[in-house]
Amino acid sequence: MGEQKFDVLQGTLDLMVLKTLETMGPLHGYGIARRIEQVSGNSLTLSQGTIYPALLRLEQRGWIRSEWGTSETNRRAKFYSLNRIGRKKIEEETENWERVSATMARILAPGS
Amino acid sequence: MDWMRTLLNRILSIFRSRKLDADLDEELEAHIDLAIAENMQRGMKAEEARTAALRAFGGVAQIRETYRVQRGLPWLEIAARNVRITIRQLRRSPGFAITAILTLALGIGAVTSVFTVVDAVLLRPYAFRNPDRLVVLREEEMEGAQARIPIPDNYRHFMRLKSIATTLEDAAIFAQQGVSVSTSGDHPRVVGAVLTSPNLFHVLGVQPMLGRGFVVSDAQGAGEVAVLSYAGWQTYFASSPRALGQTLHINGDPVKVIGVLPPNIRFPEIALSPRISFQDTGQQIMLFLPLVPNKRDLEADMGNFNFKAIARLKPGVTLSQASSQLDTLQQTYSASAHLPIRLGISLTPLAEDATSGISGALWLLFAAVGAVLLMTCVNLANLQLARAVGAERETAVRAALGAGKVQLVIARFTESLIVALTGGAAGVALAFAGVQLLLALAPANVPRLGGVHINVPVLLFAASLSILAAIIFGTIPALRSLRVSPQTVLQANSARATNSREGRRTSNILVAMQVACALVLLITTGLVLRSFAHLLRQNRGFDSSHVIVAQTYLFSPEYDVDGAKGNAVRMEFADRTLAALRRLPGVQSAAITSVAPMTGETWVDNLYRPDHPVRHGTEPAINVRWIDPDYLTTMKIPLLAGRNFTTDDRADPYVALISEETARVGFSGEDPVGHFITDLLPDGKHNLKIVGVVANARINGLKDNAPIVYLPYWAYTPLSLSFLVKSPLPSDTLIPDIRHVIWQVDPQVAIPILKSLNDQVVDSVATDRFQTIVLTSFGAAALLLALMGIYGVLAYSISLRRQEFGIRMALGSDRRALVQLVLHQAAWPVLIGISVGLPVSFVILRWVRSLLYHTPLLDPLAIGGSVAVLVIAAIVAAIIPARRAASIDPMQELRME
Repeated sequence: MGEQKFDVLQGTLDLMVLKTLETMGPLHGYGIARRIEQVSGNSLTLSQGTIYPALLRLEQRGWIRSEWGTSETNRRAKFYSLNRIGRKKIEEETENWERVSATMARILAPGS
Repeated sequence: MDWMRTLLNRILSIFRSRKLDADLDEELEAHIDLAIAENMQRGMKAEEARTAALRAFGGVAQIRETYRVQRGLPWLEIAARNVRITIRQLRRSPGFAITAILTLALGIGAVTSVFTVVDAVLLRPYAFRNPDRLVVLREEEMEGAQARIPIPDNYRHFMRLKSIATTLEDAAIFAQQGVSVSTSGDHPRVVGAVLTSPNLFHVLGVQPMLGRGFVVSDAQGAGEVAVLSYAGWQTYFASSPRALGQTLHINGDPVKVIGVLPPNIRFPEIALSPRISFQDTGQQIMLFLPLVPNKRDLEADMGNFNFKAIARLKPGVTLSQASSQLDTLQQTYSASAHLPIRLGISLTPLAEDATSGISGALWLLFAAVGAVLLMTCVNLANLQLARAVGAERETAVRAALGAGKVQLVIARFTESLIVALTGGAAGVALAFAGVQLLLALAPANVPRLGGVHINVPVLLFAASLSILAAIIFGTIPALRSLRVSPQTVLQANSARATNSREGRRTSNILVAMQVACALVLLITTGLVLRSFAHLLRQNRGFDSSHVIVAQTYLFSPEYDVDGAKGNAVRMEFADRTLAALRRLPGVQSAAITSVAPMTGETWVDNLYRPDHPVRHGTEPAINVRWIDPDYLTTMKIPLLAGRNFTTDDRADPYVALISEETARVGFSGEDPVGHFITDLLPDGKHNLKIVGVVANARINGLKDNAPIVYLPYWAYTPLSLSFLVKSPLPSDTLIPDIRHVIWQVDPQVAIPILKSLNDQVVDSVATDRFQTIVLTSFGAAALLLALMGIYGVLAYSISLRRQEFGIRMALGSDRRALVQLVLHQAAWPVLIGISVGLPVSFVILRWVRSLLYHTPLLDPLAIGGSVAVLVIAAIVAAIIPARRAASIDPMQELRME
């Protein structure tokens, strides 16, 4: 199944979702997906659907919560928002990510 | 923390999966709608906008599946699905499932219930201090070099041994007897009492719950006192703590209660001697009285062997050390004191001795239980193997379609587990019912039955063994079938693959084993049934029909006077009662005997012939019965020589009738009529003239043929008398009349036995009947298991060969040939099982011999009958699947091919 590769992607996606919710406030799945696409400048080829397993995982861990609400186009939709644990976790995860990317950068840097 | 919350959320989601599914669907729909809306805003047409939205989203179905897996607990859901599929499959072959479940239920139920009773009676220790250090001490009479016959203890011998033995910590001597107890002028009742040396409770390590035990001065006649058993306390004082210091009237005398024993103490039932059949166990021990030794107890070296003794071994001393020391001491003493017989001592562990009367039966049951458990496991193994072989094709198909090996094994495992657990639960239920049934059937003299509760370790043992068997034999073949490549199985025709020669041979061997086991059990059952039938049908030498027996104990102190004065009072009671009974309407005759029939050997004495003295101590032992002239006619015991007693003998009552057996042991080759015997009267040394010889009658018990000497009650009237009343009237109407008549003569008379003589006979063989019923039900269980084994395997193998039979029929084979084919297949394992079972039975039956009464081990009816029953059962088991095979519709089967 190639779970290792998937895990790295998962972690990345999780952090993107958390960060998006932190900046944007409560948002539905479509909004989150669009926002990530826009911020990444469409450089990330991501099926929008993969956002949902990530949202479920974060919700099961208790980092975010969801409730039904009404969208800007008057469509009933599920809105996700950060809760207390989620806010704390963003710091941890960001640090984690920075450490990993710094390490990666050092390893990839030519002639080091 | 995170994983715990995740797990909790996943578990919770299982219960709301329907709602969550709907939520997800709506959420995804909303997503697409929002995307379409945005696309259209950017100027796309509706159709285009939709396609773009879906493309950006990715595979909807895929996402939904990933989401679901992540939401719940996939393995649990797979397991649940497995269970559902398995149950559906089992429903499609109900024959297999029902046979397997019934087998488990029968096996576990029978094994647990019987073992529970065996354990409670035989194996559980008494509630005494270190009960394994307690031994029963008996004297043994040594005849020749080898033969040693256990006899009860002599008081003087016991006291001597106790004072010099260094291997015993302490020892108590006691006698057990019925006493009449009256609380407040009521009709007295006879209950069991123990007359004991004051140290009994100390030897047993028992503390009275209330008050005190006996002290030495109690046994010196300092004042009459009694210690009550817990049952006695409940009966006489309704568990009142004020019982201490109260008075009971025992045999007419006032006795003060000084103590009460705790509830868990049950006094062990010890036979006076293994040789003397022992029947007063039905009386629950209500009280303990101090044994005050009389002159005879203290001085008599011979005779007065009337006591039982329990000793406690000194710490560190083994049973054999103590045994050999006491034996040597006693042998030396009997030589140095010039006793006419040689005496030794034997010690038996208390628990062993207390159950010696029934342990044979119980151990046989135990062996039968083992056989049934074995049969259960074999049956399950066989069914499961047949099923697994049958499932080979299905397994192959599944493997070919890409099922994982683990999943396939799990599927088989699931099925085994479901069958095993269902059967196990049914078995547990049956075990509880079985214990109740056994308790209801058990005779009153089985000791310690009061404390029987279902034995949980055994239940677990039997259940886990059979469940394991079911699972192991269900799963292992699955592993094996995985090694076979799917291609081989699929290429071969279904029927041929499933009925591989190897599989069939294994299951035939297992069926043969079952048949062999069942045959051994059936032959045992047959022999025990034959023995019991013989016991009931043999010539008893007396006629018990239309006779009522009333056993009485005289209670008032005026009866209990030594010498002629007391005798006259007792005789007057006997005369008046007899006369009153004879006046009852419908009474044909009424008679007296000193001992109620079927109560074992009592009043055992020796046959002394003044004209023919033998060495002291070697006189033949006989039972004395005090009767009146109507006794022989009432019991229909024929007179063989001489004359019966007549009323003329009343003036000169020193006459005797002897049984044929007495004539044989005491007067071989002589005509006993006219000879004298002596020394049988308790008060006096009158010579008794033999006036007649009567036929043998098994009046002590159906298995007992002791020599009897009958003496007229005019010579001596004992304190306990039994009246026999012959009348064609039903016993229900007669019994109240008899009680009324006796209490009219004297209201202070206890009547412990009052029932028809037929009932008395039936009750006397209660142990044998219990043994017979339980063994018969075991034989039936074994037969049923064998039947299910044959049926289950055959039915299953036929259900897999339907196509083959279809082809055979299409090719012109007629139905009868098919039935024959199936019967033929069934016949081999049965025949092999029988030919193995027969020789095995002959080896095993040696242990059954002790349970049989005058029945040869090679009883043709028992053996032939068992084989016949087994063969008939096998045919019945085979004919059902055979007929089903014959009723196959060839067209249908061939179309399915």
